[in-house]
Amino acid sequence: MPEKTLPPDQRRRYLLAMLGAVGGALAAMGAWPLVRFFMPRDTGGAGSAIEIPRKDVPPGSAHFFDYRGRPAVLLQPRSGEFLALTAVCTHLGCIVKWQDDVGEFLCPCHGGRFSLDGAVLGGPPPAPLETFPVTLKGDQIVIG
Amino acid sequence: MKPLKMVIDWVDVRLGVRELWTANTTGYLVPGNINPWYSLGTVLLVLFGLQFLTGILLLMHYIPDTEKAFASVERIMNEVPFGWLFRYLHVVGSNLIVVVLLLHMLSVLFMGSYKRPRELTWLSGFGLFNLGLFLCLTGYLLPWSQLSFWATTVATDAAGAVPVIGSKLVEVLRGSPSVGSETLGRFFALHVVVMPLALLGLIGFHLFCVRRNGISRPPFGEKARPARVGEQFEHEHHDDGIPFFPNYTSEEAAMVCYFIALLVFISFFAPQIFLPLDALEPADPFNTPEHIKPEWYFLWAYQTLKIFPSKFLGLAVQGGLMTFLALLPFIDRGEERRPAKRPLFVTCYVLGLLLILAISIWGHYS
Ligand code: HEM
Ligand code: FES
Repeated sequence: MPEKTLPPDQRRRYLLAMLGAVGGALAAMGAWPLVRFFMPRDTGGAGSAIEIPRKDVPPGSAHFFDYRGRPAVLLQPRSGEFLALTAVCTHLGCIVKWQDDVGEFLCPCHGGRFSLDGAVLGGPPPAPLETFPVTLKGDQIVIG
Repeated sequence: MKPLKMVIDWVDVRLGVRELWTANTTGYLVPGNINPWYSLGTVLLVLFGLQFLTGILLLMHYIPDTEKAFASVERIMNEVPFGWLFRYLHVVGSNLIVVVLLLHMLSVLFMGSYKRPRELTWLSGFGLFNLGLFLCLTGYLLPWSQLSFWATTVATDAAGAVPVIGSKLVEVLRGSPSVGSETLGRFFALHVVVMPLALLGLIGFHLFCVRRNGISRPPFGEKARPARVGEQFEHEHHDDGIPFFPNYTSEEAAMVCYFIALLVFISFFAPQIFLPLDALEPADPFNTPEHIKPEWYFLWAYQTLKIFPSKFLGLAVQGGLMTFLALLPFIDRGEERRPAKRPLFVTCYVLGLLLILAISIWGHYS
């Protein structure tokens, strides 16, 4: 059989392509565990409802809790009436404070104000606070 | 490729990087008869690099607190995605590093590379060897398992054999009369900050020595050169050699791949070699497990302490051996590097190696 050799620059390009392909595959194999390591994990609780004992939220008060990894707040404005909202301000993400005396939320970062059902009353926030569905189950309040 | 070339041109005009690159790659000739043993240094660089990487990942979840450390390691193994992989790579990697450190040391010993003018290369290398062992020792405590706790208790206790200050020394090492949260605190700081920084600095010096001296010609065959220093500094040239890059670096890359394959293989299929059952139980300071043994590379030291009638004598022998090895280039001053012409050296080398091996095996089974 006659010997056939490729010109050097073609051989070089071929070898580089092979090296790149193998190297790329290996790098991807190494990168996958790293990506997974850094990805936030599914906490299992996401999507599921959370229960809070009724006695934790006396009328007129505000109870802060963790809802799907973010701060949320539960109110009882009138006896037997419950409201759950995110406590994360829609402006730049600070956590709103409940003003007992005026019955509204104040964001300490840039003075954003929200009503007890989340509507913007003043300040820079561009959108209302998201609310979550609330149901009663015995002496437990179920959110979500 | 055009923009890349423009950037390089821009830098090159200012810093002359192309000239530097050529001088250290294609223009840097290494001995033509260079062998795979010379690539172990590079293998060590890569393995240490991996230890840094996996160590940083572990640090994101590890908690240095006697109450929480063990549980945090359990979480890394069972909950953190691929946490088990990074932990196994770190554990197996540390053992593999000791293997490669020993091989590197034994090869430069056999080839007489420690001799003039490379005394400082050897000394810094010996320092690196000890640092590597101390990194293993301090890291061993961190999971706060039964194994960690008792191995550290025994290891720090050995310092008690030093006359007069012995018992004080043990307390200083531990930060308290027995191994406890102070010990964990200082071992943690040593393991993750102090010793890695020291290691980096010393590796820098070691590589500087290696590059400045030039790679020694392997002492085999006609062209072997004697170990000599003249009146003035002289870099060892190899005008008939092969380019460091790409010729020798591709051989090194192959060796690196073999060792990484071994690392990954053990991590996947046999990590329990380095994690015996006692590593799976949290430390209990009131309950010593049955057969507490140090890691394989400390077995020789463990057994010498047992052989000698007095602990002090055992420790003195160990210290003597390490000092002898550290100062070897200043003790063994002959010019001859060819093993075939050094029968006494080769005999001591082989017998010494067999002796250490035998004592280690004895220690393992005693
Ligand atoms: C962190 C550990 C170490 C690293 C990263 C390292 C790295 C290197 C590298 C890259 C080289 C050049 C290529 C080669 O000959 O392998 C080298 C050479 C050398 N190393 Fe190391 N080394 C380490 C530990 C040691 C130890 C423990 C010793 C001995 C006690 C040692 C003694 C030497 C000597 C004498 C040479 C010169 C070899 C020659 O030119 O013939 N090194 N080292
Ligand atoms: S973050 Fe709430 S007002 Fe700016």
